Amino acid sequence: MPSGQTPIRRKLMTMILLTSGAVLLLTSASFLAHEFFTFRYSTVRSLSTLGQVIATNSTAALAFDNAKDAVEILTALKAEPHVVSAGLYNSDGQLFATYPQGFDNGEFPRTPGADGYRFEGHFLVGFQPVLEGQRRLGTLFLKSDLGALFDWLRLYSGIAASVIAASFLLAYLISRNLQRQISEPILALARTAEAVSRERDYSVRAAPVQGHELRLLTDGFNHMLERTQAQLSRLDLLQKITRAIGERQDPASIFQVVLQRLEDDMPIEFGCICLHEAQSDFLIARTIGARSMPAAASMGISEQTNIPIDDNGISKCLLGQLVYERDVREVSFPFPQRLAGGGFRSLVIAPLLIESNVFGMLIASRREADAFTSGDCEFLRQLSEHVALATQQAQLYGALQRAYDDLRQSQQTALQQERLRALGQMASGIAHDINNAISPVALYTESLLEREPNLSERTRSYLVTIQRAIEDVAETVARMREFYRPREPQIVLGRIHVNRAVQQIIELTRARWSDVAQQRGIMIELRTELADDVPELIGAESEVRDALTNLIFNAVDAMPNGGILTLRTRLVGSQRVCLEVSDTGIGMDEETRRRCLEPFYTTKGERGTGLGLAMVYGMIQRHSAELEIDSEVGKGTTMRLIFTVLTPDTAASGVVPVLVPRQSLLRILLVDDDPILLQSLRDTLEGDGHTITAASGGQAGIDAFAAAASSATPFDVVVTDLGMPYVDGRKVAATVRALSPTVPIVMLTGWGQRLIADDEVPPHVDRVLNKPPRLADLRVVLAELTA
Amino acid sequence: MRERQSSDQFARLALLLATLISLIVSGLANSTAAASPEYQVKAVFLFNFAQFVEWPPQSFEDAAAPFVIGVLGTDPFGAALEGAVRGETLNGRSFVIERYRSVTEIRHCQILFISRSEAAHIEEISASLAGHGILTVSDAEDSAQRGLMIRFVAESNRIRLRINVEAAKAAGLSISSKLLRPAELVTSTD
Repeated sequence: MPSGQTPIRRKLMTMILLTSGAVLLLTSASFLAHEFFTFRYSTVRSLSTLGQVIATNSTAALAFDNAKDAVEILTALKAEPHVVSAGLYNSDGQLFATYPQGFDNGEFPRTPGADGYRFEGHFLVGFQPVLEGQRRLGTLFLKSDLGALFDWLRLYSGIAASVIAASFLLAYLISRNLQRQISEPILALARTAEAVSRERDYSVRAAPVQGHELRLLTDGFNHMLERTQAQLSRLDLLQKITRAIGERQDPASIFQVVLQRLEDDMPIEFGCICLHEAQSDFLIARTIGARSMPAAASMGISEQTNIPIDDNGISKCLLGQLVYERDVREVSFPFPQRLAGGGFRSLVIAPLLIESNVFGMLIASRREADAFTSGDCEFLRQLSEHVALATQQAQLYGALQRAYDDLRQSQQTALQQERLRALGQMASGIAHDINNAISPVALYTESLLEREPNLSERTRSYLVTIQRAIEDVAETVARMREFYRPREPQIVLGRIHVNRAVQQIIELTRARWSDVAQQRGIMIELRTELADDVPELIGAESEVRDALTNLIFNAVDAMPNGGILTLRTRLVGSQRVCLEVSDTGIGMDEETRRRCLEPFYTTKGERGTGLGLAMVYGMIQRHSAELEIDSEVGKGTTMRLIFTVLTPDTAASGVVPVLVPRQSLLRILLVDDDPILLQSLRDTLEGDGHTITAASGGQAGIDAFAAAASSATPFDVVVTDLGMPYVDGRKVAATVRALSPTVPIVMLTGWGQRLIADDEVPPHVDRVLNKPPRLADLRVVLAELTA
Repeated sequence: MRERQSSDQFARLALLLATLISLIVSGLANSTAAASPEYQVKAVFLFNFAQFVEWPPQSFEDAAAPFVIGVLGTDPFGAALEGAVRGETLNGRSFVIERYRSVTEIRHCQILFISRSEAAHIEEISASLAGHGILTVSDAEDSAQRGLMIRFVAESNRIRLRINVEAAKAAGLSISSKLLRPAELVTSTD
């Protein structure tokens, strides 16, 4: 037996033994005392009786002075060994006879004392009057030792001690047995409690025992264990649920997991979470537990069902109280009746509270009446607090997430715009150089076509193509830095015959989709499905052409193993024209589809610029059109451009050919740092009969103008480049204006579009023309300015 | 001072007077009722017999009659008998001492001491008293054997009793066994 289990046994034994020992001791002591006094009394009595007998017998001896006879009588005391001595005094108080005989008279009192018996030390001493009738003849003295008393005391004490010892032994044996009946169950309980606390296993139960109180104790202990176990399991469940809802961020899934846990682990037979909007007089069933669905359906409750707020239950819960209906059958309000109709009896409604505002309720029900303990209710109340808090956090988290997404969106937009702005700046620099570079080509081509009537048909045809190509280049360059801008009034709008444009593009791109593909050993089949009734569109044809070209190139790139390329036009409704480019290529994944319109995003590695679809998108925006992308990985991609057909009235402002009458011959000062451009301009303007002075730089231009101004032949017009080293077009214009307030100043610039767009026409400049300058435009401007 | 002197003188005178008187009285007593110590003891014994003997009721004249101790013949007791019974009572009876010259004088008597002077007539006295319920006592030689009930016997300065129980029985007297214990019992020789 472990030492820890002994104390209660020892205590019980000690108690029993001490009690019985005390009782025995007290009993024995009282018996002893009683017997002692009884014995003393009886000793006195027997001695006095003896005294009386002796006295009575001594009367004659005393009366007739017969000492011998008196001694004889006294000698009879031999039979009483405890009588130590005896003496007879005559009526004169003189010692008359003694016993034992010849005993030293010094042992006897000289005269008799008072009558009666008394204890003196270890002796009992008595004086007995000797009477004959009424007459006192003398006194008898008796002295008895108390040996009998002490003998008796010894004997009695011995008996008492052995009785006590025997009783004690018996009590020990009995109590050892009896205490087991008490201590065993208590020790068993203690062992169970120890096992419970050591192993934290609350499913252990103490074994039932006999005996009313002990059974109560055991039952109480087991009951406590049950409650603890239930409490622990609820705590465990609460923790599980808390952890589960902690992992979720949206109220719907929080509600779902809470209800599922409640249904599985608590368990409840019907669980539902309803939400309540402030001021409304009904609840909305938000989430119903998965297992509660059939029951809910039978009661006509589904998610989003409105539940009117009763006067009772729900409205009390709305004030923040937990409501427990032991039996809904006894509650006459509609919602409890509804549950009763579904076969439920007990109902708990726990409020979901945020800052003392009830925004929802947790409804739990069981089919048995009064099936929720107070522990269950408390658990549901705590749980509802957790759920409310988690819901609030989820809502806050959602709001935060949205704010974050918005912020990120804004940041991306800003980033993209910044990127596009940088791109625009770069593009305008490039455009300037390209415009400068192609200006001579444009000027000479136009000049040739106009002035050389004897050109062969073939040459003319080539020159026209060159001219168109140059124009495309010029427009492309112009667009390149403008593609991110919204539609600007400077865009040259024209009528676009869609089907014809498509045919032209097919021809222009044939090399790519046919020849190059064939060289690589793949076959791309081109199909066209062009609707006949497609009306003309108003727009920039070159932009549309470029967009289509880009789409066709992308389609070809998407079919590295060949496939079908389909170009489709059709009328959608009466006002919309759809232009589709489809391929049967690799398609785009979600990421690519989402990002494909971003500038510089490419899937083509080094080969791609990442600008193709970005330019298409710019065109779409400028034309107020729409772009749809259907794509499936492995199946192919369809890019769909949808244009809105403008009414003829609005399209009437389109550019119409202007016939310029031949103007008067002018003296023109040309200022440009680019000698080739200078030469080409000179050649073409001289072709028109003008007198040209060319200055290859700002300072040279100013010098030439100053020289001419003071001469007889000043310049009629100054045409100057804008961007030049050392002295730029602005300076030239200012100087010229200072010298001559009236002479018109025309500025040629690769940045022309931008100048206009930014409303930045430099001072003193009468007109700005873009590079490459078209001869026709130049003629019109010169005519207008010098008219 | 003078007063004290006179009182001291008076006290001396009174003491002297008292001594003289006591000497005279004691001299008178010796001369009139002087008894030997032996008879003083015997007087007490006679009185003591009253304690140990029971008399039949008819031996008394009536219930209030005194207890009579009589002395027949020459009285050897002097005043000793009167001294022994002075102030004593027995069962409500007072003691009276009577002295008789002859048996015929005896009317009611419970204890009769027969003096040695009557020793020669003991048998006659005994016979004449028979049936009267009188305890007869004597210190005469062989008096117990000669029909008297108790005889005083002097033995080495002590007085012993010799009792004739038959005689007492014949007289209707019952003698306590306690009295018989220290006594020597005898019977009549005739």
